[in-house]
Amino acid sequence: MRILACLKQVPEKDSRYKIDDTATGIREEDLVFETNESDVYALEEALRLKEKLGGEVVVLSLGEERVLKTIKSGLAMGADSALHLTDPAFRGSDAFVIATSIARAISDQNFDVIFTGVQSEDMAFAQTGTILAQLLGWSHATIVMEVNVSEDGKNARVKRELESNLFEVVEIPLPAVLTIQSGINQPRYATLKGIMQAKKKGIRTLSAQDLGLKNSQLGSMGSVVDHQKMFFPEKKKKTVILEGTPEEAARTLMERLHKERCFSRWPSAERNSLCLARFWF
Amino acid sequence: MPGKILVLAEHRAGKLKSISWEVIGFGQKLAEQLQQELKVVLIGKAIECLADEVSRKCGQKVLTIISDRCEAYTPEAHCQILSQVAQQESPFLFLMGHTYQAVDFAPKLATMLGRGFIPNCVDYQIEAGRLQFVRQVFNGKINLQVGLKGEPPYFVSLQQGAFNAYEVQSRQSPRVVNLTVPLPEEMLKRKVLEIVQAAQGKVDLSQAEIIVAGGRGLASKEKFQIILDLAHTLGAAVGASRPVTDGGWLPKEHQIGSSGQTVTPKLYIACGISGAIQHLVGMMNSSCIVAINKDPNAPIFSVADYGIVGDVFKVVPVLIELAKEIRK
Repeated sequence: MRILACLKQVPEKDSRYKIDDTATGIREEDLVFETNESDVYALEEALRLKEKLGGEVVVLSLGEERVLKTIKSGLAMGADSALHLTDPAFRGSDAFVIATSIARAISDQNFDVIFTGVQSEDMAFAQTGTILAQLLGWSHATIVMEVNVSEDGKNARVKRELESNLFEVVEIPLPAVLTIQSGINQPRYATLKGIMQAKKKGIRTLSAQDLGLKNSQLGSMGSVVDHQKMFFPEKKKKTVILEGTPEEAARTLMERLHKERCFSRWPSAERNSLCLARFWF
Repeated sequence: MPGKILVLAEHRAGKLKSISWEVIGFGQKLAEQLQQELKVVLIGKAIECLADEVSRKCGQKVLTIISDRCEAYTPEAHCQILSQVAQQESPFLFLMGHTYQAVDFAPKLATMLGRGFIPNCVDYQIEAGRLQFVRQVFNGKINLQVGLKGEPPYFVSLQQGAFNAYEVQSRQSPRVVNLTVPLPEEMLKRKVLEIVQAAQGKVDLSQAEIIVAGGRGLASKEKFQIILDLAHTLGAAVGASRPVTDGGWLPKEHQIGSSGQTVTPKLYIACGISGAIQHLVGMMNSSCIVAINKDPNAPIFSVADYGIVGDVFKVVPVLIELAKEIRK
């Protein structure tokens, strides 16, 4: 099996953001970046597939030099080699441009399966993998919670998450793109040995020109949606922020809740036992 | 802007999904503002009754595509059908709910037609006659205004709950029209084998009056214990956001949000939950929401009635002590 795992680097979850002067992006200078959460699950699934059926895992990331940290952590987890798509012209690209660039980069590489995360935590397009499958003429399945590839490598049986605790099991022919939901597995940590080995693994760098893409096909010009401006959301509800030390804030809160009769009918422990019955295992 | 707005409605077990009613309600409002015609599109097998019901209820034209091959959803059939609908109807806009199905086929459909897909919108505006949508980015901390680019049709999905203020109106032109779209079997690459309900377990949070929920901020399974302690003291049920169940700190059936349960308790105490939109849609209609989080910019505060900006490990133990006092 030749397996590709696409990794996006995004700001850490607790980041505080500043919108840049163009109002179409954020200022990056004070941010710390990490690998997008569902992409880590996708890579873990790729590594497990390789361990089961043999083959090779390649990681791919698109972005400036900082994404090398994400690529290296993927190699340290166990990927065999990496592709780094980097070019200033990529900045401001939407999912269509990113998927187009990835499709170009791997067109001659005979992959059997591509894993991506279900969506990125920064732009949350949730469509790069699906567009990529369409551009390659492959099958796809999104929001995947279980992957079983047949021994002959011709089909994949996957479980997709649906709404309200429903799931569906579907079969699709390979090659295919699978977008992986977080929680599908428990991703491994890189070992010291893995980190040492990663230093010897190959990272191939490709620019827009290497991919045969012109500036007019990239960034906001090449995008199929028009990102006009970013702004901070207005609060819908007036939140009363309780100030003071943790003790003071907690005390004020309990007083307010008590006054508003939030505890007017204390549910008995028995009534809630159904809810509590399985809370710990 | 003369033209048509098509609402793609989703259904399961003979009923329209609530999000689809929301989209129809918003679609009616938008069609009125833009002076466009609205049609509802329904795809499936044996959906004649449903189509009649939808058409009567909203008084709009319903376009049905009925086929044995649409008994279960596949992206191939949906894209084939909707690209033909796009060709025949020349719509200005395709509106749909941001569902597990839309995520699966809409990017493929838009790409097939050389268009873009604007997912998961929470608001809209019409500026100088131009329609724009607003979506959340960076985990809900920033809003992004997105314009329509290129030629119609444009593809847009709406976040559940964001447009529920637009109630479905009863218009005067109910009618059901069926359209036949050939679906050769070899085109349907995806085979649906079964639909399964995850073990619901014994946890039904929908009836709880008080829910104490914990999130990523609790840091580990061991540390999550204080959430259980607080819940126990308050006689509350225990809820969780996705990272908690993904990490195996609690069984999956405690998850609240779009892929878990939807709850409306009298009191919802969110501890260490940042408030990803997928979580908010599951709890935002609770009567009173308390948020405790160290990040003052966490989106959970946008739906909270009371907020404490602080460390859950310092605040929650005090709450437990105070609750014990009150109970005495």
